[in-house]
Amino acid sequence: MSIELGHFALILAFAIAVVSAVGGLALWRRGPRLAQVLGQAAILQFVLVALAFLALVQAFVVSDFSLKLAVDNSHSLKPLIFKISGVWGNHEGSLLLWILILVLFGALVAAFGRRLPADLLNLVLGTQSLLTAAFAGFALFTSNPFARLPSAPFEGTDLNPILQDVGLAIHPPLLYAGYVGFSICFSFAIAALISGRIDQAWARWVRPWTMLSWVFLTLGIAMGSYWAYYELGWGGWWFWDPVENASFMPWLAGTALLHSALVMEKRNALKIWTVFLSIITFSLSLLGTFLVRSGILTSVHTFASDPTRGLVILSILAVLIGGAFALFALRAGALRQGGLFAPVSREGALILNNLFLATAVGAILVGTLYPLLLDALTGTTISVGAPFFNLTFGALMAPLLLVLPFGPLLAWKRADLLAAAQRLVGAAALTLFLTILISALGGVSISMAPIGLLLGFWVSFGSVAEVIERSRLGRIPLRDSLRRLIGLPRSIWSTALGHLGLGLTVLGIVSVTAWESERVTTLNPGETTQLAGYSIAFDSFGTVAGPNYMAETGFFTVTAPDGGLANLEAERRIYAASGMPTTEAAIQTYGLSQLYLQLGEPIDDTHVVRIWHKPYILLIWIGALVMSGAGVLSLTDRRLRVGAPRPSARSLPEPAE
Amino acid sequence: MPSAGSKLLGPMIFWLIVIAVTAIACAALFYAAAGRMVNVTAPESGAATNHFRLLLAGIEADKAAGKIAPAEAEAARGELAREILRAQKDADRQALGDLGRAPLGIGLVAIAALAFGLYTYLGSPDLPSRPLAERADVAARSMDIETAVSRIETQLALTPDDVRGWAVIAPAYVEMGRFGDAADAYRRIMALSGPSAELRTDLAEALLLEAQGAGSDEAMDLLRAAADSDPAHARSRLYLASELTRMGEYAAAVELWQAAIDLSQGNEPWLAAARQGLTVAQNDGVDTAAQQQAEMIGAMVSGLSERLKADGGTIEEWTQLVRSYLVLGDLDSAQASYDAAVSAYPAAFDRGDLDTIALGAGLKLKEDTP
Repeated sequence: MSIELGHFALILAFAIAVVSAVGGLALWRRGPRLAQVLGQAAILQFVLVALAFLALVQAFVVSDFSLKLAVDNSHSLKPLIFKISGVWGNHEGSLLLWILILVLFGALVAAFGRRLPADLLNLVLGTQSLLTAAFAGFALFTSNPFARLPSAPFEGTDLNPILQDVGLAIHPPLLYAGYVGFSICFSFAIAALISGRIDQAWARWVRPWTMLSWVFLTLGIAMGSYWAYYELGWGGWWFWDPVENASFMPWLAGTALLHSALVMEKRNALKIWTVFLSIITFSLSLLGTFLVRSGILTSVHTFASDPTRGLVILSILAVLIGGAFALFALRAGALRQGGLFAPVSREGALILNNLFLATAVGAILVGTLYPLLLDALTGTTISVGAPFFNLTFGALMAPLLLVLPFGPLLAWKRADLLAAAQRLVGAAALTLFLTILISALGGVSISMAPIGLLLGFWVSFGSVAEVIERSRLGRIPLRDSLRRLIGLPRSIWSTALGHLGLGLTVLGIVSVTAWESERVTTLNPGETTQLAGYSIAFDSFGTVAGPNYMAETGFFTVTAPDGGLANLEAERRIYAASGMPTTEAAIQTYGLSQLYLQLGEPIDDTHVVRIWHKPYILLIWIGALVMSGAGVLSLTDRRLRVGAPRPSARSLPEPAE
Repeated sequence: MPSAGSKLLGPMIFWLIVIAVTAIACAALFYAAAGRMVNVTAPESGAATNHFRLLLAGIEADKAAGKIAPAEAEAARGELAREILRAQKDADRQALGDLGRAPLGIGLVAIAALAFGLYTYLGSPDLPSRPLAERADVAARSMDIETAVSRIETQLALTPDDVRGWAVIAPAYVEMGRFGDAADAYRRIMALSGPSAELRTDLAEALLLEAQGAGSDEAMDLLRAAADSDPAHARSRLYLASELTRMGEYAAAVELWQAAIDLSQGNEPWLAAARQGLTVAQNDGVDTAAQQQAEMIGAMVSGLSERLKADGGTIEEWTQLVRSYLVLGDLDSAQASYDAAVSAYPAAFDRGDLDTIALGAGLKLKEDTP
């Protein structure tokens, strides 16, 4: 009965969403009473979808095989955590997770938005309900997670073994929280366009919500990348796979939105552009959902390819995105532009940032969609691979990274570029010195390595330059400096940390790309091989039984250059129910570097072993964590501050506008 | 709702809960509209004023803390003032209406109608939950053997050394007719836990079944080894005797049948078959007992037939007669008796099981019955 109650809860939530959407968008002028009803409706939608989701989880946990989804994706022998995460390890369940997060954000708006203007709240909740109605309707009519089987089988067919990993418990919820969080900005943008005004409340709301979504998306992408790295067994951390691009584009657009929302919040400028970016960012999230869910791409993310589903998602996409842009074209002219500023100013730097990021989104969008369109229109299959993306994306990011440290040092409205440059001299000198030193010591294996190092160090040092400058480190006693550091506004800290995180990621990428070493060899138990100063001994080989798989395990002992010993186990697993093989790489961390060991197919009695040494690879994900941490820090800052225009030293203060 | 008596109760409770959930949701929405207004008076300007007050306080605080110069603070305040004026203008432009009763009522009705309509279309309210744990008893009775076997096979692929698993699956294979797999399973058990008379006999049985009556040397060796290893093992002797009888080695067979019968306590279910086997072997393969038995049954049946034809009888007796002829394979007599029974009991209602049994066996119902 609980499954059917969950099914009814989802349908009731859909019904409430449909009525809320119509009510909110058609009657938005009806004032605060409607806002209270819509707020209650948003909370009810969340409660009902959560109940539906719990019903699904319960059915998986107790292995109720009268639920078709459980039959297709579960197995009674699966460990509990994979029974739970298996709920969203498939098309229907992941869609329900998407909807759950969507209504969660709607409920949050209702809970925290009680002081928003009633008409704005009506429009926002109406739009949010429209999204819920669209996706819940899509789930119910084309991919119902609550489909039942009249005669329940006694065993399920198990979840794809690659997905039987703790990564599935973390990566999709984080990523979806990021994707779907941008729906708030989208709804606010639609509300602004319909009501024809962008008031202060709009500006105040968009930045924290963007930041929250961006933090989740950053963590989700980083987690996905690390998961692919350790699970897929190729030792790569980013493949420019269309599905990865589908999540990367909203991230880039979201990063741009984050910075433009900053300008809007502090300076009340760039309003229309922010509205536009809000729509773009969520549209890219929807596009990502479409690319992954429609089945036009084949990857580990494509659970089921069903042309009807693709068509329905495409229609939803066309209506939502097309409608939003049509609304933008009609109404953007009615919105009032914000404050003015000189080209060399904090605002100007942020626009430059937006320009580069938006162009990068465009480049990736072309690289991702062009092969699909070409295939659809002419039947020609081409592959746009890593070289294209590395070149175009790299070419766009290099100048962005180069000017990045200047941004935070520039003042709002009008700034002195020379003064900012002077404050960066120390960082520049340090960067140059380290780059030359490392290139001389490490050897230059690829010609771009020094440029990459240069940029990585430059961004890292440049971002902490302001913090050090403000603490007057070395010029006043250390204790005073520390006190000044602690007293710095959190916004300064979060800017510095966020940019530092980016610098660390760049350094990790450069280091791994330039100095990674690899060895493919055949080893028999008892033999030893060498790589990058590490000695790897293949001790023994055996068969080990897991809960629902058989593993062929190789036991290795690694001797580090400093003499430290580590025991590693690399596995090749065969899952009993599906008969599918997976590889479990053995990864040993040394500081920030890792040794990555993978056991290949046995040839006769010898084993193919692939070993990589990945210097400083952890910096890639540590950088992402630092960036997310900076986002969280920024969320704790109230930021209720108007940027004070700094009067020029040379002339009298001019009127602001 | 697992118990059988709740067949009707289950859906009823389900619908009650569903109606209650919908009613609660609608009531929550209704009371939200009736509830106290938090931001009823000029919401924008109120919120905005508050917002601007906080901004102003921030500027003052910054000035007091020396973070911005007094001149900068002045400029910031000026900018803020312009913002407030603009916000005021916006607020004046927006005169908000109120939500009437009609839209709310229509909305609530729409929600309930949409939810129930859609659920009736999509849902399966009559399907109970089937958690695996609660299905254990059901499974014992109705789980089809193939599902059970494939579950055990999955488990055994992971734990190939599990003797218990093999011991469960081997007889199941025999039951499913997968005698080769059964033989492999028994070999597996023998390898894991060592041979015994019982296991050797089981394996021999699987091999004989697989040979489909053609005999198997390996099975014979196994049976001999079993009988030799355990002088009190009757089953291996029975199989040996039966195989020897089939092969025509009656002297050896007689000896083994006798040995098996001597081992019995007197109440074993196989005893009758063993005695009959002994007689057959003693008569060099002619089953005199079966002949005698058939004659006896024939006599009994014809006795019953004559009595019923002469004196009539209950429908149960007629049914027994028809059934007996069917068992004996005498279809003509069965048809004749059936016709007589139909004449005696013309109303189909009175004939009970007879029609089912007769028509199921291919007999014809008399044409002239009303």
